[in-house]
Amino acid sequence: MRQQQHIEPARRRVLKMFGAAGVAAGLVSLGVSPQTAEAASGLGMPKPDEKVEETIARLFGNRPLQAAGDRMKVELPLIAENGAVVPVRVESNLPMDAKSYFKNIYIITDKNRRPLNARFALTPDSGKLSLATNIRMAATSDVRVIAEMSDGSLYQYKQEVKVTVGGCGG
Amino acid sequence: MSQVRIRVPEKAKAGEVITVRALVTHPMENMQTRDGKIVEKNYNFIYKVEASYNGKPVLEAETTQAVSQNPFFSFSVKVNEPGKVKVIFHDTEGKTYTGEADIKF
Repeated sequence: MRQQQHIEPARRRVLKMFGAAGVAAGLVSLGVSPQTAEAASGLGMPKPDEKVEETIARLFGNRPLQAAGDRMKVELPLIAENGAVVPVRVESNLPMDAKSYFKNIYIITDKNRRPLNARFALTPDSGKLSLATNIRMAATSDVRVIAEMSDGSLYQYKQEVKVTVGGCGG
Repeated sequence: MSQVRIRVPEKAKAGEVITVRALVTHPMENMQTRDGKIVEKNYNFIYKVEASYNGKPVLEAETTQAVSQNPFFSFSVKVNEPGKVKVIFHDTEGKTYTGEADIKF
């Protein structure tokens, strides 16, 4: 399946620059300035471990999270037999127009090494909020779906998903 | 080999909100860590998904290793005229996988 590539991922180039002994130093530098490292490479790359509070602070700062209520409907299993494939579905009947629409949907698993699973940026052309995907979960944990509206307000839905077999392989 | 499959409704009406389902065959290999340190290992996962309708962006997703193997995404698009849905997946090896589907009225 795996093909040999001529293009090396940027992180490997960076690590090579630091040399074998500098792997840890390279990671520290990534931790200090993840934005510049990311911007320089242009490619997504694995990032250091993070606690969920840090993820939320990084993404939303101190902005308050309100309960989603019936603003959006989230479908998550109560028990996931296989943490490698956990289906998530987010839907809402609220109309989406240029004045008010769902701008970003974040899926966050509290106990993953990197809690952010995925971020979806929508536009008014999406018509309505209807997203689905499959995520990986390392262990039984709360899963949060956070919606950021176009006016900047944040709504959170949280549910615990029990995982029988973890799916993050680490 | 990697490939993209896209499913859309056979017919749509003007102003209708349709659901597009896109699936790409991709290993989404993740990176291993030990004691919080990254163990050098080949990784290769899709980090960005872009969807557009007639060239207008409808969805952009930032994905991580914590998305399942052979990632599946479904999203909605409001269609006002017939056209083409295009979904582009980017992976960390610099490859892109593109899928297209026609929307007929």
